[in-house]
Amino acid sequence: MSRTPLTALLLAALLVAGSAPATAKERLTVLLDWFVNPDHGPLIVAQEKGMFEAAGLSVSLIEPADPNLPPKLVAAGKAELAISYQPQLHMLVAEGLPLVRVATLVATPLNSLVALRDGPVKGIADLKGRKVGYSIGGFEDALLGRMLETHGLTLKDVELVNVNFALSPALMSGQVDAVIGAFRNFELNQLDLEKRPGRAFYPEEEGVPAYDELIVVTNRALLTSDAIARFVKVLEAATQYIVNHPDEAWEVFRASAPKKLDNELNRRAWRDTVARFALRPAALDRGRYVRFGAFLRQRGLVETLPKVETYAVELE
Amino acid sequence: MTAVDSTRPFSISVHAARLAYAGAMLFDSLDFALAAGQITCLLGPSGVGKTSLLRLVAGLEGTGTVACSDGGKLPGRYAWMAQQDLLLPWLTVDGNLMLGARLRGEPTDRTRAAALLQLVGLAGRGDDRPASLSGGMRQRAALARTLMEDRPVVLMDEPFSALDAITRHQLQDAAADLLAGRTVMLVTHDPLEALRLGHRIHVMAGRPARLDDALKPAGDPPRDPRDSEILKLQAELLTRLASARAATA
Amino acid sequence: MSGRAGMPAPLRGLIVAAGLVAVWQAVVWLTGVPHYILPGPRAVLDALVRHAALLAENAGMTAAEILLGLAIGTLLGGASAVVMDYARAVRRWLMPVLVVSQAVPVFALAPLLVLWLGFGMASKVAMATLIIYFPVTAAFLDGLRRTEPGWTDLARSMNASRWSALRHIRMPAALPSFASGLRVATAVAPIGAVVGEWVGSSSGLGHLMLNANARGHTDLMFAALAVLAALAVALYFIVDRLLVRALPWVAESGVEDRINA
Repeated sequence: MSRTPLTALLLAALLVAGSAPATAKERLTVLLDWFVNPDHGPLIVAQEKGMFEAAGLSVSLIEPADPNLPPKLVAAGKAELAISYQPQLHMLVAEGLPLVRVATLVATPLNSLVALRDGPVKGIADLKGRKVGYSIGGFEDALLGRMLETHGLTLKDVELVNVNFALSPALMSGQVDAVIGAFRNFELNQLDLEKRPGRAFYPEEEGVPAYDELIVVTNRALLTSDAIARFVKVLEAATQYIVNHPDEAWEVFRASAPKKLDNELNRRAWRDTVARFALRPAALDRGRYVRFGAFLRQRGLVETLPKVETYAVELE
Repeated sequence: MTAVDSTRPFSISVHAARLAYAGAMLFDSLDFALAAGQITCLLGPSGVGKTSLLRLVAGLEGTGTVACSDGGKLPGRYAWMAQQDLLLPWLTVDGNLMLGARLRGEPTDRTRAAALLQLVGLAGRGDDRPASLSGGMRQRAALARTLMEDRPVVLMDEPFSALDAITRHQLQDAAADLLAGRTVMLVTHDPLEALRLGHRIHVMAGRPARLDDALKPAGDPPRDPRDSEILKLQAELLTRLASARAATA
Repeated sequence: MSGRAGMPAPLRGLIVAAGLVAVWQAVVWLTGVPHYILPGPRAVLDALVRHAALLAENAGMTAAEILLGLAIGTLLGGASAVVMDYARAVRRWLMPVLVVSQAVPVFALAPLLVLWLGFGMASKVAMATLIIYFPVTAAFLDGLRRTEPGWTDLARSMNASRWSALRHIRMPAALPSFASGLRVATAVAPIGAVVGEWVGSSSGLGHLMLNANARGHTDLMFAALAVLAALAVALYFIVDRLLVRALPWVAESGVEDRINA
């Protein structure tokens, strides 16, 4: 008599417990590298088109206050994923952070050396004795140094000035003759809009090994997580959508936050970024990571690096 | 060095003095006079307006005519001594004595300062700062500073009231000596002090306040407090003060 | 007299510092915080030693910015206070400006200053000056306006001109207040210099901190922070001693002791 209600209660409880995973989604916090911009295209598209939800993921995209913090927070277990830069990954791993790259967002370098087209710097060799502005990312002197060497100069031949993200204003106001750390899809368009077009020099064309500008990193402890694998799959789907429907994708992007994102600069940047998204986000070019790691070691930015396998993987 | 110089002492007559304070009329249409070359003491219960009247004479408060018998104006011709010593703590005693000269951009007279310090009993303390002096010594320094100004008129607001009885007595002696020949208005709450120092003594009473007729003790200040005449007059003053207090309440 | 019983200040300071380091180490042990977020004292000490030359060079730069900012800000603030005291009209118009200079977060003004004054020392000195302008001016002005009324009566009786009374009585009387403002300024000036460096510079402890942070050299970042803190404390100590020396009558009067008792 008291058994039947109890059994019924137990069954009901089991049913509820059993069905819980089916309806509940796994939460993933993604710390962006910067404020939302076209570089984050696939993430925004995936979010807006419900692709994460369809894969059973509840994803929050967080803009950082301090751009250097996201990977550290992921390493400390405070968030699952962060958008980072390949060069930054090498340096942080060298410091012992348990980070692993699981996907690539932007598969080309974006970092460039930019001067004003109507300025005195027509070629890299013209930088001798001039001022170069940078915003602290940690490795600009490695990039710049290598580029200068290709043209017979060294870092000692230029004066590095920290302009802290005000790259375009510093360039336009003439306080510096060139800037390093400008993203070719962004700052160049910014300069165009201000009617002060820029002239760009690309690191990978001037002796720096090619690298992935934007990657997705996670904590080593989360590598076996199925949610992370599903995340990377969604990234691929979103990128495919952008490649196949670039105009619609732009509409989706700008509609996600019209006040913040719908402007001419973003529109132009979107156009220039579409071709740079990793078409196969999960795929890893191991050689690339080996080469760039060696490059950083050579330039003295890292002392030793563990094997690439420990901090860059291809998820199945 | 202490005698008033060639300028002859002059009397001061105050006419139609008027001062309101916190909504109450302290005094109105008040007339009184300070005799030339003499010390006039002003007694009265607290709050009657003695200090205010003194400040009115100095031109710091209130309205009314303050006329000098030689036809000149009073501002600029009086020396001021308050209940606090008003010594500047960052200056030495010497520096404080010569403050007036400094403020006016005049040359300083070190010899005179030293002599005055001697007279008030502070010989050799010229290089000390006020913090190292006792209350009595500081007030002596203030007295020296007041005399350093060498003005024909001296206005004093209870200058010795914060001192102990012995020091007060000594300073009264020194003051009587050094103020001789100047026109002095001395506000005090101590009838004995008034009797020792004053040529004329008024009691201020009522609201609005009035001055009674002056008491004129015989003899020159400083007077002996043990003198029977003085003791009698002290009793009289105390009576007047008591009724003054009742009248002012 | 002001005889301070107990141990001398530097020894006290050392003990406090040791205590803080102990707490720091305890926090690291107990919370298990990773070294790239908060390194332990040992790691920071290592970094201090390893990069001593680099730290010293940048410290010198930042120190120069702070000192110049302090000097200029003090002069400017002192002069402003005197002018504001002298002319009521000036006070009415300048006071809101003063308040704004304090209320607007320096972080917001920093980029403007850098744009106008460049990335060199000038903008950092300007930042430091700006950040101390209000405390110094307000303190001195306050002191000036609170002159002992008895002294005003005395000055009147002595036929002092307004300027003469200001120079000989009111300004010296306001110096203790000015000193208070100066102490606050000394404590805050480093912030101005460092914020200026963050916004745009190629040298200085602030810049070094950013750089180290970006490269994940958290131990160096904290080492720079420690040097900055030491610099600020040393500066405060020196300025305080100088002020006490310059205003001997304040200590003599024993007012401080009575207040602190």
